Amino acid sequence: MAERTVKFEVKRQSGPDAAVVWDKFELPYHPGMNVISSLREIAANPTTVDGKATTPIAYDSNCLEEVCGSCAMVINGKARMACSALIDNLEQPVKLQPLTKFPIVRDLMVDRSVLFENLKRVKAWVPLDGTYDLGSGPRILPQVQEENYPLSRCISCTICMEVCPQFNESTGFVGAATIAQVKLFNQHPTGKVLKEERLHALMGDGGIQECGYAQNCVQACPKQLPLTRAISDIGRDVIIQSVKDLFTT
Amino acid sequence: MATAVSPAVTPPTRGVQPLQAGEGHSFLLRRLHSLSGIVPIGAFLVEHFVSNFEALKGPVAYAQQVRFLNALPFVRVLEWTFIFLPLLYHAIYGLYIWFRGKSNVVYYPWAGNWMYVAQRWTGMIAFIYIGQHVWRQRFSGVSLPEHPGAAFHKVQMELSNPWILAFYAIAIIATCWHFAYGVWLFSAKWGITPGDKARRKMGYVCAALGIALVAIGLSSLYAFVGPWYKNAPADLTPAQITNGESTSSAPSNEPPASK
Repeated sequence: MAERTVKFEVKRQSGPDAAVVWDKFELPYHPGMNVISSLREIAANPTTVDGKATTPIAYDSNCLEEVCGSCAMVINGKARMACSALIDNLEQPVKLQPLTKFPIVRDLMVDRSVLFENLKRVKAWVPLDGTYDLGSGPRILPQVQEENYPLSRCISCTICMEVCPQFNESTGFVGAATIAQVKLFNQHPTGKVLKEERLHALMGDGGIQECGYAQNCVQACPKQLPLTRAISDIGRDVIIQSVKDLFTT
Repeated sequence: MATAVSPAVTPPTRGVQPLQAGEGHSFLLRRLHSLSGIVPIGAFLVEHFVSNFEALKGPVAYAQQVRFLNALPFVRVLEWTFIFLPLLYHAIYGLYIWFRGKSNVVYYPWAGNWMYVAQRWTGMIAFIYIGQHVWRQRFSGVSLPEHPGAAFHKVQMELSNPWILAFYAIAIIATCWHFAYGVWLFSAKWGITPGDKARRKMGYVCAALGIALVAIGLSSLYAFVGPWYKNAPADLTPAQITNGESTSSAPSNEPPASK
């Protein structure tokens, strides 16, 4: 019996403006292999199906256990984490493409800095000046902890943005991940000192109003963040803030 | 608070640009679009369907309803402020929203994503339909504000064309769909139903609302094309409307037995 193999088709681009080529690869099957382990195997011997030597495929990855958020890519047409994409569960040939909504760096690597930029613009942090001992922080009620923990699991993979029909160059939509982080930090007893600033930021162009509630974000999120709930809650907060502004500023 | 200040901003040169924190007016315009779909447009839709339901009671009752509405104080002001202008805004801004979204339902065929697409197409059908409906029923032909008695006949003539009748039926379904899901979207986006369970329950409520409106709309259509009020009089005099008499010579012009 012939050795069992796995076929891959990879969309490649040697640079941001280089031509697109699809390379085909074939690997011997091992139990439990996933897309990242396959990419590493290809890198060890970067030869296409027709025996042509090529460069190793460039891709982002780090933790290999779906907590760092680096290896998001489009696998068989769906955006997901490559490290948790088991070959056993995928149709062959396995088609790998970079995320479509972010500038290409090379091959499967994209520049996702827009998310970091958005997180900065909504001040997604707890402001603390640590020149002296501030003592222990305020107590966070267990109910609030329960609500915050799922939001804190965001791994900044940008899959919620990739699958969002509203996240594109004409809307400049901020995306679900950033809105969820606004909720997380607005609920923090120290972080909420910046609540109004965050809500004001989300009223800007590309803000929360651009959400079309297609709910793809919550379907695709690999960490099951309650994204639609966060958008709803923050949507209400932003509206209340805008009405307050109307009468008090 | 030093840490409250954003670090220096270096936006990516390509791709989707970052949030324009606190800048622009799209928040106001988009929320106005969302709100205008509920009030006044949604409220008017319900009123319009309820009023048209009077057609089931015959040409006289229908004429009375038309006369009542046109006798409201400041009726022309009400009409423009609460119907035509909001509709125009909702339609044009809605198209703008549509053109800026990039549907990906082909790759992600999920329920919410289908509804996202359906909301745009039903809105388009409603826009085209309402455009011709307002033009043909309100601004051309017999002027109904001056001749409420001609209302039934005018609609009946329009619906005598089977293509127009089919268009009316499709448009009623599309418009009710758009409104019902619009109520659901409004509740979700404005934070009225943040929880998953609340949104599911709201889904049932909105589905019931949509189905009820479609039932009202389609049965009103039937009043014009069914056997009850065939060959309605071309116009009724004010006295006939007031006294509830119709002098149509058509023998079938009797109220249905069930009334």
